[in-house]
Amino acid sequence: MLEVVELSKAFGALRVTNNVSFRLEKGERRVVLGPNGAGKTTLFNLLTGELSPDSGRINIDGVTVNQMLPNERVRLGLGRSFQKNNLFDGLTVGESLRLALAIKRQKTFSLWRDGTRDAGIVERAEEIAGMVGLTSQIDVSCDALSYGARRQLEVGLALASEPKVLLMDEPTSGVGPDMTDAFTAMVGGLPRDLTILIIEHDLDVAFDIADSVTVLNFGKVVFDGTPEAARTSREVREIYLGDWAGDA
Amino acid sequence: MYYPSKLRSAVAALLFVAGIVAAFQAGYFGKEILVEIALYALLALSLDFLAGFGGMVSLGHAAFYGIGGYAYVIMTMEAGVPPLAAMALALVPCFAAGWLLGIVTSKVRGIFYIMATLAFGQMIYVFTFQNRMLGGSDGVAGVPRIDLTAIGIDMNDPSIFACAVVVATGLVYLVFSRILTSSFGRTLVGLHRNENRMRALGLSVRWYKAMASGLAGTAAGFAGTIAAQHTMFVSPGMMDWTTSGEVLIMVILGGLETLIGPVVGAAFVVLLKHEISEFTNHWHFFIGVFLIVAILAGGRGLYGSLEAGVARLTRRKSEREQEPGKTTAQKNPEAGNA
Repeated sequence: MLEVVELSKAFGALRVTNNVSFRLEKGERRVVLGPNGAGKTTLFNLLTGELSPDSGRINIDGVTVNQMLPNERVRLGLGRSFQKNNLFDGLTVGESLRLALAIKRQKTFSLWRDGTRDAGIVERAEEIAGMVGLTSQIDVSCDALSYGARRQLEVGLALASEPKVLLMDEPTSGVGPDMTDAFTAMVGGLPRDLTILIIEHDLDVAFDIADSVTVLNFGKVVFDGTPEAARTSREVREIYLGDWAGDA
Repeated sequence: MYYPSKLRSAVAALLFVAGIVAAFQAGYFGKEILVEIALYALLALSLDFLAGFGGMVSLGHAAFYGIGGYAYVIMTMEAGVPPLAAMALALVPCFAAGWLLGIVTSKVRGIFYIMATLAFGQMIYVFTFQNRMLGGSDGVAGVPRIDLTAIGIDMNDPSIFACAVVVATGLVYLVFSRILTSSFGRTLVGLHRNENRMRALGLSVRWYKAMASGLAGTAAGFAGTIAAQHTMFVSPGMMDWTTSGEVLIMVILGGLETLIGPVVGAAFVVLLKHEISEFTNHWHFFIGVFLIVAILAGGRGLYGSLEAGVARLTRRKSEREQEPGKTTAQKNPEAGNA
């Protein structure tokens, strides 16, 4: 579903993404781990199209998207959520979700009809609000939501672009442990055929959600395997805990 | 998001009826003022569509007013197009110019957008000012009015003319109200709130900005075709950037992002201008004072403040009706802003 082949990106002499390859089958949930500065966000931006790679290929559902603009990739089925909440302040949860759905379903052209009120869109917006736990707050304005609820809506908006592949950039950044558990449960409740790639620095989230794990360090893939294998991998431990962990 | 709330519709209906009554009851000078208000209302509500709802604060809106006026003049006086058809055809260059301006400026935001539209407006102004074929700084006089005598309407009767202008303004208001509740209107507000997110959701942003700019330009151009018939005269003065600035002041004084607010603002500023200029030439000073007060008071403007006040009252009332301790304060009231 999502395939990354020998992807590289350098800023000057610094190779931030260095020959990265991995692939996600349909329905696979992969977490990309790595400490600060490992090149996670750069990889994410290469995937969404904010940055263009120096070499290598990105395939979505068999189509090479290297040359495509971010919004073209979205139309192809690549949805994303942001590390920092990026919402429509002043709009309610429902309005935001319906608008996102209308964009995906190309119902934004009419100067006369309100396509965001089509039965299919209204229903789907309610479903998505349910998936991210915002059903009771569907008529609440985005800027009146708690931080945690805003995080949930952030994922909700990404889901409303009805992606085949969902990319999430540090979805639990800035939330407490109980919210993190709620997030893990939420991802567990998403349709199993949705392919998900999550960029994370939190190991526990990764181990709870992932089918497979990629660990980046200095732009290179240093580990690729199951969460169980990652947990026992000496390399992963060293990256995260430093050498002293081995000495102790 | 825009909702034609009861309050908005009520104020719109009230202003419309007042306009119609004034068209027949007011004296000659009153009718002139009425037409002036209606023309500014058209400019202000279309600028609110672009700036208030779309977030594109333009200082070149008067250029479209001029393009509409001059296009009407060229078509009727040079090309011999019948006035009624010319009114419709004159909208084509207005939409085209607005659309092009929207495409060219689709990537600039904030102060840079303001500067780009200001430059565009001045470009059109200077071009007209220096073009001998368009009458240069003298403008063009003797512009014909549309002829509706076939259906028994005499447009040269000041009452009839004023009434027709009020009706036209009402229709344009209804059209924009409808557009704002359409898919396009929802999308435009979304773009204003978070353009990056709209792009990340897959929207090709610039086509929507171009369309918004084109529609606002068309409405301003429509006002221009009426203005040309009203005074039977066009001059570069109508597209001076100070006109754009004045319209922006009306939008802010009336209430951004309310659609009816700018109409209130237009009436307020024009009436104030005429009242104050009976005592002094420095009416700009007083408009300035009102503008500062309006901004310091929260920037909601006259109508916006009314709306916020009514929303607060209804919320309190509904809270009182709830059992004590429970609130619905977070709910978005229907009368709420956008």
